[in-house]
Amino acid sequence: MKHRLIPALALVLGLAACSSGTGATQAGVSASGPGGAPKEIRIGYQLIPNGDLIVKDQRWLEEALPDTTITWTKFDSGGDVNTAMVAGSIDIGLAGSAPVTRGLSAPLDIPYKVPWIFDVIGENEALVARQAGSVQELKGKKVAAPFSSTAHYSLLAALQDAGLAEADVTVIDLEPPDIQAAWARGDIDAAYTWTPVLGELRKTGKVLVTSKDLAAKGKLTADLAVVRDQFATTYPEALRTWLAQQDRAVKLVRSDKQAAAAAVGRQLNLDPAEAAEQIDELVLLDGKEQAGPDYLGTPEQPGALAQNLRSTAEFLRSQNKLPSVPELTVFQQGLATEELRDAFAG
Amino acid sequence: MGVCGAVIRGVGLRVGAVLLLAGIWWAVAAAHVWPEVFVPSPGSVWDQLFLTSSVRDGQRGYSGHLLHEHLLASLRRIGLGSLYGVAGGIALGLVIGLVPTVRALLGPLVTFVRTLPPLAYFSLLIIWFGIDETPKVTLLFVAALPPVAVATAEAVRGVHEDYLHAARSLGARRWQLPFQIVLPSALPEVITGIRVAVGVAYTTVVAAETVNGVPGIGGMIRDAQRYNQTDVVILGLLVIGASGLLIDALLQLTARLLVPWRGKA
Repeated sequence: MKHRLIPALALVLGLAACSSGTGATQAGVSASGPGGAPKEIRIGYQLIPNGDLIVKDQRWLEEALPDTTITWTKFDSGGDVNTAMVAGSIDIGLAGSAPVTRGLSAPLDIPYKVPWIFDVIGENEALVARQAGSVQELKGKKVAAPFSSTAHYSLLAALQDAGLAEADVTVIDLEPPDIQAAWARGDIDAAYTWTPVLGELRKTGKVLVTSKDLAAKGKLTADLAVVRDQFATTYPEALRTWLAQQDRAVKLVRSDKQAAAAAVGRQLNLDPAEAAEQIDELVLLDGKEQAGPDYLGTPEQPGALAQNLRSTAEFLRSQNKLPSVPELTVFQQGLATEELRDAFAG
Repeated sequence: MGVCGAVIRGVGLRVGAVLLLAGIWWAVAAAHVWPEVFVPSPGSVWDQLFLTSSVRDGQRGYSGHLLHEHLLASLRRIGLGSLYGVAGGIALGLVIGLVPTVRALLGPLVTFVRTLPPLAYFSLLIIWFGIDETPKVTLLFVAALPPVAVATAEAVRGVHEDYLHAARSLGARRWQLPFQIVLPSALPEVITGIRVAVGVAYTTVVAAETVNGVPGIGGMIRDAQRYNQTDVVILGLLVIGASGLLIDALLQLTARLLVPWRGKA
């Protein structure tokens, strides 16, 4: 998904915006309103058809915290969310598993943790080939993926799973719209990408592997929430309220798909039918499921997400994008299991 | 004093300015006013110079290529794009400068193309020419052509009438005039145009490498930005800047050899 810097200038602009915002915004956190509620919660969201957009669309957080100003800022990538976290410009953000791995590792070492999994990437990201019938047949072929994305990680995981080394195929870096153009011209033999471009590729190609298949093999990719440590310790109650709204959104998707799709559709400028289709391709988890052993887990037994983040770190290390792979405990401590348990204790 | 003293003073000034800038950078980074992601220290950029130039644990440099491979790939694109742009620009400029009808027809078109931001039409080049070298070199060609064309056209129009009359009275044929008289006397301005064109190609190469740009310095910078590896970004910028300075110096040297009469009229 769109977890990263798309325009080349975004980092520079982001830096300018963030560093100038640092001084003013820190004050918003320390000053608290009545009842221990924060004066302001600054949320970084992304346009991904999960529960976060429902919470935003329905203004549930604004209703639940009437004395708090909720500021929603749109981000295009997890890399930008990391930068904003470093600058202390947002309190809660959405980033893919790859950017979160980087954030929790040196040299970034961002003081944040993961209290919620917005979605597990499912059939909305997949490897599509023009001719090949299996991943093995891609040997010597040109395969495109947007670098540094969850799709890039999944592509390399799929190759590894099929017994191919990265050098056995020509992996090239293309953004989804360029993938579509290159596909139409016949410049590439396969691509790992996400909807809506994925939908176009499926029409003329064959799906070899989806991220859902890879998740079943332990190569899970997900969109994660991150909350600043300082915010989580200062305003545990606000965080619990936030978690409750996310849980409510997931339950709405299950009980009233139409209402959920309408809300997501409004945020994404899609008609509800299309929004419903996109929601269905993601795996959403409610509060109870989040605490399961496959995901965040419990304080006594941190979930498998920690292993997942660590294997993402190994992948990034092999790509020279991280200087070293942190211990598993670093990622286990990066999961906000206590906060999750407290929010859904009842 | 004399020439030698002046040279030493010039070099000393430049080295001093660079050292001063590096010193300020080091001090700002060491003061930790901003996090390391925002202002990486000169030391970490220096380390990246070696990391990106070496093979470690089977991983070649950065994004699978060594630093000099990135640089050479970009220089190749800049070289080819500038070469085609200069050749096309001189030809176009000659025609525009010599034939009033063509000037009326193509003059505005050249200005139109010159004002287009490269990123705006690059997606079209991708659809037309694919994702390999062709669209990148084409982009640089389109970017490098107008400065040369404009400079050549202006210079050609400015050629002294007396030169042409003199050549004709000495028995030169009509077709000989553009190559024997017009181009040589327009050469100083044309060379200035070429320097501008190469500079434009340099600034455009990062745009050209936004699609399938690895190997390439622009592709490397883009990849590093995604991972918040600011030290690699700065290294890439320094490499682009330094190589640009070097190439401009070479162009100036060529200019001095080709038009030794310039400034000595």
